[in-house]
Amino acid sequence: MDFTIPERFQARYCPVVDDPEAFLSSLKTMLPKSFRVNRLKSDPDEIKERFSGYGIPVRQMPWYEDAFVSDVPDIGPTLEHFSGKIYFQELVSMMPPLLLREALAGARNVLDACAAPGSKTTQMAALMGNRGTIVANDVAYPRIRALKFNLEKTGTLNTVISNRDLRNFPNILFDVVLLDAPCSSEGTMRKSSEMFSCWSERTISSNASQQRQLILKAFDLLSPGGAMVYSTCTFAPEENEEIVDHLLRNREDARLEEIGIEGFRTSRPLEEWNGKGFHEEVRKSVRIWPHHNDTGGFFMARVAK
Amino acid sequence: MMDQERIQKDVLDYLDERFGLGEDVFRKHRFYLASKGRLFLGPKWMPDDRRVVSVGLLVARAAGKGIKPTTNLFQTFGKLITRNALELDRESTIAYAKGEDLELDTAPPATDGYVLLRYRNTQLGCGLLKGKSVRNMLPKAKRLEISLL
Repeated sequence: MDFTIPERFQARYCPVVDDPEAFLSSLKTMLPKSFRVNRLKSDPDEIKERFSGYGIPVRQMPWYEDAFVSDVPDIGPTLEHFSGKIYFQELVSMMPPLLLREALAGARNVLDACAAPGSKTTQMAALMGNRGTIVANDVAYPRIRALKFNLEKTGTLNTVISNRDLRNFPNILFDVVLLDAPCSSEGTMRKSSEMFSCWSERTISSNASQQRQLILKAFDLLSPGGAMVYSTCTFAPEENEEIVDHLLRNREDARLEEIGIEGFRTSRPLEEWNGKGFHEEVRKSVRIWPHHNDTGGFFMARVAK
Repeated sequence: MMDQERIQKDVLDYLDERFGLGEDVFRKHRFYLASKGRLFLGPKWMPDDRRVVSVGLLVARAAGKGIKPTTNLFQTFGKLITRNALELDRESTIAYAKGEDLELDTAPPATDGYVLLRYRNTQLGCGLLKGKSVRNMLPKAKRLEISLL
């Protein structure tokens, strides 16, 4: 991909990443095509057999048996895609439901607070075996159409769609809450370099101000003893570490849990940004840099109450 | 009898009789009736909130001329269907996925009415059988040109 990475962007992140050259060069490389096997309709063995029959090599990820990468980009016209046996999803987008895997297995109700277009919703439904209830909420009505389509395609039965600004969500308690917050999406540039055409630090601060409100509300909707994940697909510390820091300083009963995914490289979060130090607990959150696992960029924190 | 109970019973009787899909198949979920006889199958619990825009999947329509099962229903529960299911060949599968109607060479092992269409181990969706013709009931948004199958 041929585009220029803004200097201000480079100045922000090169000093905090382990290998700036590898980081910048990874951003100019297209993401490999990845998909998830939809356990509500199929299993990894069937998919491996089908793709082997097509002569398309696919690699199963060691850290998640349902995650696959294909070296052939055009795997859209398969019967498996048509029938919803596979779901195209970025590898990093599969992480938040994975971090919640144990909690989802016994959850009665789950809130996917910013759900559209539903990649993580459908993955959570599969991890729950279509049992319990997921409330898939999104504030943007036009995006709900895509969410609905994906729920249908994957055979997701345990989901209710709600169209609310999370900040006005009724006070119902959930066993599991996923807040995959709207963000500046810097980590998705390997999918589309257009991200840079609207990149600005102003966007980052306006996202951050919204995220500060969202994380407090999402936490207030979590049952005591429940599990919550906060995630974004951006590198901006203002939208990541600072938001988790804001939660920890405003909710006494919030604590972070150590996270890691075996076989997948995650990195430590920043401990300070622009001279501001973060709450010690923030160190339990993780960053995913694109050049470490050939993925998009991501940030995650698992919160307990 | 309330509308919901009556429509739900009619749909369950139809699915059992025509496709061999017994009531037990749906016991882990709950039916919800929306306007125009649309029957959804969803989770047993849902929040009491006016901003809920949809619940579960639309599985049948029971208005006007009898009951119409949906592609969602067939793609989700099709592997449990024991009657009125047609196995398509490769060419017919490609044509069906594109949204085309089908003409069968021989009389199918099914009676006129809605049928499940399958290809090998994959549940494709719904068709309306009349004699040797199958009308394509796949919603436009779900159509796809497939070449690998």
